[in-house]
Amino acid sequence: MALDAYQKRKERQLLKLLLPALIPLLVLTIYPALYAVYLSMTNEALTGVAAARPRFVGAANYFRLFSDTRFWNSLFVTFVFVAGSAIIGQFVLGFISAMALRRKVVGSSIFGAAILLPNAAPEVVAGFMWISMLAGGDHATLSKIMIALGLPWADWLQTFPLFMVTMVNTWRGIGTAMILLTAGLSAVPSEVYEAARMDGANPRQMFFRITLPLMAPTIFLYMLISTVSTISVFGLVYALTRGGPGNATEVISVYIYNQSFTTFQLGYGAAGAVVALLISLTLGIGYVRSLKVSV
Amino acid sequence: MAGVPIRRARAYNFLAYVTLVLISIFCLLPFVWMALASLDTNAQLFLKWPDAWTFDNYIRVFATENGVRWFANSLFTVLSATILVIIISGLGGYALSRSKAWWKQPFLYAILLIRVLPSTALLVPLYKILLTFNNGIGALVRPVAGENYRTIMHVFGFIDGYLGLIVVLATGQLPLALWIMKVFFDGVPKDYEEAAILDGATLVQRIRRVLIPLALPGLAAAGLFSFMSAWGDFLLPLILLSSPELQTLPIGLFRAFLRINEIDYGLLAAIATIYLIPAVIAFSFARRFLVQTFSGGVKG
Repeated sequence: MALDAYQKRKERQLLKLLLPALIPLLVLTIYPALYAVYLSMTNEALTGVAAARPRFVGAANYFRLFSDTRFWNSLFVTFVFVAGSAIIGQFVLGFISAMALRRKVVGSSIFGAAILLPNAAPEVVAGFMWISMLAGGDHATLSKIMIALGLPWADWLQTFPLFMVTMVNTWRGIGTAMILLTAGLSAVPSEVYEAARMDGANPRQMFFRITLPLMAPTIFLYMLISTVSTISVFGLVYALTRGGPGNATEVISVYIYNQSFTTFQLGYGAAGAVVALLISLTLGIGYVRSLKVSV
Repeated sequence: MAGVPIRRARAYNFLAYVTLVLISIFCLLPFVWMALASLDTNAQLFLKWPDAWTFDNYIRVFATENGVRWFANSLFTVLSATILVIIISGLGGYALSRSKAWWKQPFLYAILLIRVLPSTALLVPLYKILLTFNNGIGALVRPVAGENYRTIMHVFGFIDGYLGLIVVLATGQLPLALWIMKVFFDGVPKDYEEAAILDGATLVQRIRRVLIPLALPGLAAAGLFSFMSAWGDFLLPLILLSSPELQTLPIGLFRAFLRINEIDYGLLAAIATIYLIPAVIAFSFARRFLVQTFSGGVKG
């Protein structure tokens, strides 16, 4: 009994230590998420009649949202952006880099550092540097390179905006993919390769029959994390194009921002936010499950 | 017979080398432009060799008052947020590691899910909550402050004030930091604490004398990741700060390159380089913890 009382006192002390973390998380993340759900059912706005007296409008914002082509466009743009950069671009280039670095080439640590450097660049710096690469028609660095190689140039951010934004986000994430996949590769026991080599397997067979299947859990985890984090990318796209030209690069986070802070329709913007929250939460639950965290 | 595999291995090595060179060029080229432009007397939008080398751009960042202010504001808010995160996540991570209570598991799952919420989606409600706090503080400050009201609100305000930005920045880093510290303390044996308890140490003594020295590597990792993420954050200062004297580096840089006609590429490249350097330094230290953050936290 005495031990029980001691245990209870100890747990109370521990809860007190957790309170400074619990309170800001409740007030500044959980509550805003719930509040977004409420806001999405009102016609709250910063300007106009609704600003003075917001009303409860039920699901009206959602009906409007689902008939808004600009919203569907933003979902489509987000899908292309995530699939193109997180799932294809970063993964393929990161995997190639990880495989190449395993061959112990000269200067591998320098290559590793170079590939990781874009990860360290803040979003706005990345946007600024890539404006130099892509903007300005024949003055852009990429255009100059193309001209030097005798290839055609373009006004990259005007002609291929979504492709370019996706490429820049790919650039930012190759390093993370490389690091995570390197860890996965080194977890594959070398005896398996030895055995396969004994049986006369060629490198291609070894890649598709051994490396890829054994890496599957790592790859799956990587895809989930990068998908979730790419959905919330805002600063990079906003700094490069602000969603334009037109709505060609308006990913969901830029769409929500534009609805809320340039057209000031807070209730309507919140409906878009709730959809984004639900998509992220669904993927997040998958992430938590696949981690199989023992807590 | 043995020549074929060796030749093939050489071919693969060559292929690996070419691939790495190409990917590295892709990764480095934008940085090369920025570094060269920041040292060029006549910097242009495109990559070119400097007309003449100069440090003038960097000197101008610090000579023109704005650059210094942006840097100081960024450093102050981000460091304050980082320190806050280190303290709160150190205490909370310890509690999460040692507790056996019912709330432990739901709490840990919940903070993993909080990590995936896109911050743009929380922005409007967050802004309204901060506005309420701000009005509350304003009502307290106004009667006593007199003509210093605006200055005081720039420090303690939740909208267009340092305090609001610091608290929100810190909260955003808490989920990862708590996980890092929880996993770290899981790896610290309880024997030390139990010995201290037997010696009659109180909780505060145990934290100060035993746990903080043991937790330093974990706290360093949590601090590094918080610093990097808060340093790179663009959305929060964009929304929460409007006064020119409160602007931080990302906003200053963003606003400056929107004025596309009167743009001074050398100066901007210098600001961007100054903004980049602390991030790169923090990243180079944090690199070895990178893998663990994906799978939950850092082992002790």
